[in-house]
Amino acid sequence: MKELNNKNPFKTPEAYFEGFSERLMKKLSEKEIDIPNNEGFIVPNSYFEGVHKNIRQRLDAEDTKVIPLHPFKKYYFAAASIAAVTLVILMFNQNTSKEITFEDIANTDIENYFEDNWSDFSPYEIAEVVPVDELEIRDFMSNTLNDDIILNYLDNNTDEFEELNLEYDE
Amino acid sequence: MIAEDTLVQDLQHPETLSQAFEVLVDTYKQRLYWHIRRIVLNHDDADDVLQNTFIKVYKNIKGFKGESKLYSWMYRIATNEALTFLKSNARKLEIGSGELQDRMLGNLKADVYFEGDAIQLKLQKAIAKLPEKQKLVFNMKYFEELKYTEISEILETSVGGLKASYHLAVKKIEAYLKEDT
Repeated sequence: MKELNNKNPFKTPEAYFEGFSERLMKKLSEKEIDIPNNEGFIVPNSYFEGVHKNIRQRLDAEDTKVIPLHPFKKYYFAAASIAAVTLVILMFNQNTSKEITFEDIANTDIENYFEDNWSDFSPYEIAEVVPVDELEIRDFMSNTLNDDIILNYLDNNTDEFEELNLEYDE
Repeated sequence: MIAEDTLVQDLQHPETLSQAFEVLVDTYKQRLYWHIRRIVLNHDDADDVLQNTFIKVYKNIKGFKGESKLYSWMYRIATNEALTFLKSNARKLEIGSGELQDRMLGNLKADVYFEGDAIQLKLQKAIAKLPEKQKLVFNMKYFEELKYTEISEILETSVGGLKASYHLAVKKIEAYLKEDT
């Protein structure tokens, strides 16, 4: 145990301690890199003396441009307010009329809609999505005809009933 | 120096506006100029933006409610004007903000109103690499020597956030300046 305590297993380079102070002092004297306080920007001579004058000139130039527009502006505002009041009155009047329904849409508008929006579909494709089986001939007619009118028409326009080849249930 | 409240009152009355505006410009022109110059780098651009800033102040002073201090309101306008100027420049040139910064730094070498040496040019490069917020905070704290409370009012950010931004900015700039030196 005694032998073990007396032996230091670590070594230092030769003459390490002799040169230590010198190396430390050298490191301390090395300058830290500081961020410069001066950025190097300069301005033209007497620049700041003329700042107010330059701004004043620009403001005056802008003012003279704006003056001629003022009288027109008043008319614009008057015209705009009259138009706004008229619009509001019209809107209130329109609100009293009934709501727009499908019946109010012109047929041409519907046709145009389909022409513009369904152009990529063939009639067969459209037929697939429209339930044709459930439709009656009357769905396509604007006026429904009662039986008396139909019989009168046939009376006047056909010579013989037989020609119609009607089938009787009898 | 004229009290801010009195100056605002004078600016909001047509009879006293002209004279008060002159006082306003003389009081703030240098501070606002350097704030803008550090964002746009070039003198002519800084002059344009400074004039636009004061014109905006002149036109909007009637609507100034005094919810913030006058100088922080003007700093905010100056910051927005300068950043908008850079963005519209980038749009005109059809380049990104990074490329615009590179061009601005490239132009700095030939700028007659830049007398910086190699280390000052490197400093500008280091600042240019910072995110926008850190850049603003660093310039306002380090060069313009504004207090955190003042910067907080101008940039509408918490003091804690500003301190963190400034700390990060300083670390990044120091690291960049140490590279290859």
